[in-house]
Amino acid sequence: MSKKNFKEETIRPEVERLLEKAWEDGVETVWDRKRAQEPHCGFCELGLSCHICVMGPCRIDPFKNGPQRGVCGADADVVVARNFGRFIAAGAASHSDHGRDLAELLLAVGQGLTKDYQVRDQAKLKRLAGELGVDAPGLDTAGLARAVAEVLLADYSSTKQQLAFMSRVPAKRLELWRKLSVVPRGIDREVVEMMHRTHMGVDNEAVSLLLHAARVSLSDGWGGSMIGTEISDVIFGTPTPRSSKINLAVLQEDQVNILVHGHNPIVSEMVAWAVRQPDMIAKAQAVGAKGLNLAGLCCTGNEILMRQGVPMAGNHLMTELAIVTGAVELIVVDYQCIMPSLVQVGACYHTKIVTTSPKAHFAGATHLEFDPQNAKQQALTVVGLAIEAYKSRNPDKVEIPGKPVELLSGFSNEAVLAALGGSLTPLIEAIKAGQIRGAVGVVGCNNPRVKHDHGHVNLTKELIKRDILVLDTGCAAAAHGMSGLKTLAAADLAGPGLSAVCKALGVPPVLHVGSCVDNTRIVHLCALLANSLGVDISDLPVAAAAMEWYSEKAAAIGLYAVASGIFTVLGVAPPILGSKAVTEMAVSGLEDVFGATFAVEADPFKAADLIDARIKVKRQALGLTP
Amino acid sequence: MIVKSVIVRPELCVGCMQCMIRCAEAHSQSKVLAAAISEAVLAKPRIHIGVGPELKPFPNKCRHCEPAPCQEACMPGAIRGDILEGHKIVDPTRCIHCGMCSMACPYYVIRYYPDHAAPGGRSMAVKCDACFERQAQGQVPACVEACKTEALTFGDVNVSMKQGTNRLAMAVWGVNA
Repeated sequence: MSKKNFKEETIRPEVERLLEKAWEDGVETVWDRKRAQEPHCGFCELGLSCHICVMGPCRIDPFKNGPQRGVCGADADVVVARNFGRFIAAGAASHSDHGRDLAELLLAVGQGLTKDYQVRDQAKLKRLAGELGVDAPGLDTAGLARAVAEVLLADYSSTKQQLAFMSRVPAKRLELWRKLSVVPRGIDREVVEMMHRTHMGVDNEAVSLLLHAARVSLSDGWGGSMIGTEISDVIFGTPTPRSSKINLAVLQEDQVNILVHGHNPIVSEMVAWAVRQPDMIAKAQAVGAKGLNLAGLCCTGNEILMRQGVPMAGNHLMTELAIVTGAVELIVVDYQCIMPSLVQVGACYHTKIVTTSPKAHFAGATHLEFDPQNAKQQALTVVGLAIEAYKSRNPDKVEIPGKPVELLSGFSNEAVLAALGGSLTPLIEAIKAGQIRGAVGVVGCNNPRVKHDHGHVNLTKELIKRDILVLDTGCAAAAHGMSGLKTLAAADLAGPGLSAVCKALGVPPVLHVGSCVDNTRIVHLCALLANSLGVDISDLPVAAAAMEWYSEKAAAIGLYAVASGIFTVLGVAPPILGSKAVTEMAVSGLEDVFGATFAVEADPFKAADLIDARIKVKRQALGLTP
Repeated sequence: MIVKSVIVRPELCVGCMQCMIRCAEAHSQSKVLAAAISEAVLAKPRIHIGVGPELKPFPNKCRHCEPAPCQEACMPGAIRGDILEGHKIVDPTRCIHCGMCSMACPYYVIRYYPDHAAPGGRSMAVKCDACFERQAQGQVPACVEACKTEALTFGDVNVSMKQGTNRLAMAVWGVNA
């Protein structure tokens, strides 16, 4: 990066320092590459470029001087809606394929095909089996695992009229989805159908495409992602509140540092096991290190933070900078959100990048494929590679700025219920009394087009100040953690009502509910609240925000939130602005369809006002004080 | 003779950079995009998109000044006005990469890259040559052909300014022409 503007890129002094170090070390970062791409393609940013077929590629001129239709005849509305449909399909596919890996693993556990993985939460498995209608007398844990895995794997097919977890959707919402023909039938089916509809010459009507996009997103939020969350809990344990630390300074100067990065706990849980093995620790000591230090990045970091209390080193925009500390021996990744540049940045230091998924190869990385049979052995090999790499560490290059920040994590819905004494009633009473005016999921990624963590942290501070409880996931959760908002002391930053509730329950005002697939915990909790009150989700004083989102997955999450009835603020506009019809539908028309819309607002303080106004309206409609 | 120019209306630019890609393609050996991107000496664009406030794009290229500061600074006489009337074009056989022209240029449009047209593919001053070879074949400059927003057009400056005057006259009365 050129040696200017470091302060403009991030709210964090330690990130600023590492950007400077990257410049000193001659390392290119995501910010450099972003600048090199500017100005981004105007057609693409507006969703007006189409490369679906090779009669094109085509662009529609937003100034109306040039072509107004693609070669096939598609106008701006059709081009934008088709592109957006595929964008959502890719996001839903990513989460859902992650969920599939877990469902297949649960099946392998049930079939006795793996010794490395077990069912850690048998009670949740039993509960799920009951909920899914496959619990039968005499079924042991393996039998229950098989039955649950089979019924959820069937959700990926085309053999059903609706997904299993539709049983969780409030009756009014499900009825609405039926009327709109958007009840998700099969996870793969909805994604495939979107790819079909957006082939040249199939669905050429923006509203029809957008409704199917909603259906696709629902197959993610109430399907693939939800399967991912629930089965992860079954296999690796349902999270319970635990304390840990976060920031780049969780890296240890005198230890072998290993980072897990990606999304699926299938790999990170095994690495977490491997670093605890005494013989591996002895090997690390034999090369002169004090021990083995494991930390997380991004969502797989969230997964093992939630369940194991493994510290987190940072979020999406910090993944390259973690290497720039010069103190990371190895990053082991699975899939999603892993910048291909990590291989190049790693090569500037002594950092090895290890890939593990048959679906995710990186040129220049070491590939060690994990499967249910070899996972522990592969995890030990990974740790061995890290110990070997430690010998090549250059102490002159090591600089770990900042200090670790304490945080509380592990607030699964089960844990929230337990904290409330086993029932949602105390939460509902607090909402009715106005102590907690509402709840907002502040979620999503980082994006170099937004000042790092500025959107997340400022929005959340504003919300808790206004007695609005914040639930968070993904990179937003790491941002809040690094800013100290997940501590008991943070209750003092909250308004008087929320502060009192937090202090009484011993919880922070910003509750960490997991990784990005775990946004399903938030929609599930909303459904439980709505069912308790006998209303629809869209009647609740709730909202969602993704101030720094960048990915297709985040767009799918946003859409399933809106389609589930949750008002959602986006800090970055999706590539739809080239179509007036699609844009108007997103920011206003959807209100009449799903009872919720998107809003686009880059300023976190204005976003807080929008959310606050929404919560007031919803509270008043419920007969509560604003 | 009427000299045609590339006329830039930056307010219409969406920053797609298609002009840059097609400029590079037009100055490659193969002049075919898919082949041009794998040539030994990669062609470089001679039009560049600057980043203004709020990331507003600004297309920047040689104005072919008369008198031209670059030409006056060019010691070996590589910047020639006799190749295409009204245009200043770098002669690859004469350019010695001394850097004088880019220092003299008030518009920052002269850069230095290895170029297949220079002897041995050596580094030379690279700037807009008004696509004189394309013009000879009856084509408009590649950047103009690539531009979908009419931020870049090709024509007689005086005609373009007349059209602009009429647009302005309409705008004064609230009509968007």
